[in-house]
Amino acid sequence: MPGFDDDRLLYVDMTNQTTRFAAFPEKWKLLGGRGLSAKILTAECDPTCDPLGPKNVLVMAPGVMSGTTAPTSGRISIGAKSPLTNGIKEANAGGNPGQDLMKLGIRAVIVKGQPADSNRRYGLRVDESGAKVVPADDYKGLMNYASCDKLLANEPKTASAITIGPAGEQRLKGASVGCTDSDRERRPARHAARGGLGAVMGSKGLKWVLVDPAKARTRQPIGGKSFNALTKRYTQAYLAGPQIFKHGTSTVVPVANMLNTFVYKNRTEGQSPDVQTLDGARIVENFPTRGGGMHNCMTGCIVKCSNIVHDKDGNYRTSALEFETITLLGANCAIKTVDEVAILDRLCDELGLDTIETGAALGVLMDSGGMEWGDSAAAARVLEEIARGGETGCMIGNGVVETGRLRKHKRVPHARGQAIPAWDPRPLKATGVTYAAGPMGGDHTAGLIINPGMPQDQFARASQEAQLVNMVCDSSGFCQFLQPSLDDIREYYGLLYGIEISREQIADQGWEGLADEWAFNKKAGWKDEDNGVSECLVEEGIGPNHSMKFDVPLEIINQSKVRFPVREELFKMKASG
Amino acid sequence: MAIVLVPAPYRGPTRGLDRIESTGATIGACFDEIEVRNPGLRDLVVDARSGGVHRFVKLVLNGKLLGRDAAVLATPVVASDEIEVLAAIGGG
Repeated sequence: MPGFDDDRLLYVDMTNQTTRFAAFPEKWKLLGGRGLSAKILTAECDPTCDPLGPKNVLVMAPGVMSGTTAPTSGRISIGAKSPLTNGIKEANAGGNPGQDLMKLGIRAVIVKGQPADSNRRYGLRVDESGAKVVPADDYKGLMNYASCDKLLANEPKTASAITIGPAGEQRLKGASVGCTDSDRERRPARHAARGGLGAVMGSKGLKWVLVDPAKARTRQPIGGKSFNALTKRYTQAYLAGPQIFKHGTSTVVPVANMLNTFVYKNRTEGQSPDVQTLDGARIVENFPTRGGGMHNCMTGCIVKCSNIVHDKDGNYRTSALEFETITLLGANCAIKTVDEVAILDRLCDELGLDTIETGAALGVLMDSGGMEWGDSAAAARVLEEIARGGETGCMIGNGVVETGRLRKHKRVPHARGQAIPAWDPRPLKATGVTYAAGPMGGDHTAGLIINPGMPQDQFARASQEAQLVNMVCDSSGFCQFLQPSLDDIREYYGLLYGIEISREQIADQGWEGLADEWAFNKKAGWKDEDNGVSECLVEEGIGPNHSMKFDVPLEIINQSKVRFPVREELFKMKASG
Repeated sequence: MAIVLVPAPYRGPTRGLDRIESTGATIGACFDEIEVRNPGLRDLVVDARSGGVHRFVKLVLNGKLLGRDAAVLATPVVASDEIEVLAAIGGG
């Protein structure tokens, strides 16, 4: 029978290693992912808590559409108070765990508490029979790939996993949460990377979550045939269209370079002399001789933007090697080739580290004289240290601000304590407004606006609208690279639940999510009078004559937090990140 | 004259213009002709290595999606034709 009356929340108490289910509130039925995480954290997490203490709450919330047959809709959000921004944080990932949880009717896993013994490790097994916390000390210190190999070796093919690596176990603030992809190998290559949420998971002693939906069906929409017809129509239209992410995000490198946002040497320049050798086109060109190729990271994805990268001997190296990673671990560190970056990317995935935060921290280390520019072998050695608790490695793993502090270095590009992504706020000032005013800090996925010619008086509205659309998208489970609009999402929600959803409702949902997050951050200590963007981005320019600085007045930044009248265009805007 | 529709990220070379007219008789000739007035736009669209269109760019002629090999640039255009440039812009 279609319908979702049995939907539930799974509570996990890591202090006592117990689990319980609770009914999923009807009033939240149109909430998933980021929006749901914000509601749960607002209700159940003290914003003033220590992010790595027992009072922080870790939420794993699939999007509303996850587990259905809607295309590219299975993303899962991880949420908590961030040890980097000290505010609310959400990071989402592809792979299959989101869909698998939703097939079991689990709208969110809510992890609380902390084991008395921080040396213990636990796993959480979730299947049709229920959920239980199990000892996992034998996984302690394992890299992500080894951890998943061990965990999944004797599990059915239907199972998927959410894991942390040694960085998360050590509570390093740049730690990510990994999810296994949909390939036969079930690699932990998809990461909810930003904000240090892997450290929160590590602080709770939780090494992995195993989800096995077994023979549970996909979620059956109340809209039945109409839902299926929409999916068919939407998919056909997408496949007949330009499919602009067909070769992955890494091929955007030349455009970013042109826009002065392919940042070089700790963001002292906006363009890299190595743009040709770092262009993701080099990855695509190597597919015929090395193997690898493009694939879907989660079941039912039609975008297929994820690449599988092989080394020159034809062996699997990593997946996916993205534009952000190439910029931060490559150009930002003056590292010259995609092959070198691929090695570092794999190390980050193994350790469970955000490649943006890590690349930014390495850039600060190099800029402060602690490592030669472009020395990828030295960078790899430092990262490898992390697994052994090495001092320099742990400094890098704790992110860009901590690295700047320990290196006593002034040029530390961040917003609200989190490393700036590739998209630089100086040439892309409206995106800078998102970093400064948005509840996610320096995170382009919260609201990316790539319009370098935009007049200043449009920054606030552009940022607010992009943030609102991305909030709804990141609550839906749809991938931003599918580029759904608010109209697309409300049509899907309507057919999923068999109800009419107005434009006003969907826009209000996006705004309410942002308002929840801003309110959390205010209680956590964020202040409107501080734009949160580090001085070096305000004082030092990039681009022609180093003339591009982040010089947006605070008044305009704060305008983006006051709701603009809703306009027609909002509903046709596409999510982008 | 054919019209080239320029996406926001590519408007640096066009100094903010979102539509550029061209007297070119083919798509390639349009970008060549525009290059004289707006240097930089052609390099963003045409891949000098392959002679075709960059991987991250799509061209749409009067609503019809085109391929990316070099032959596409020889496609004839006439007055009132619209050549839309689509660019993959995203992070990851």
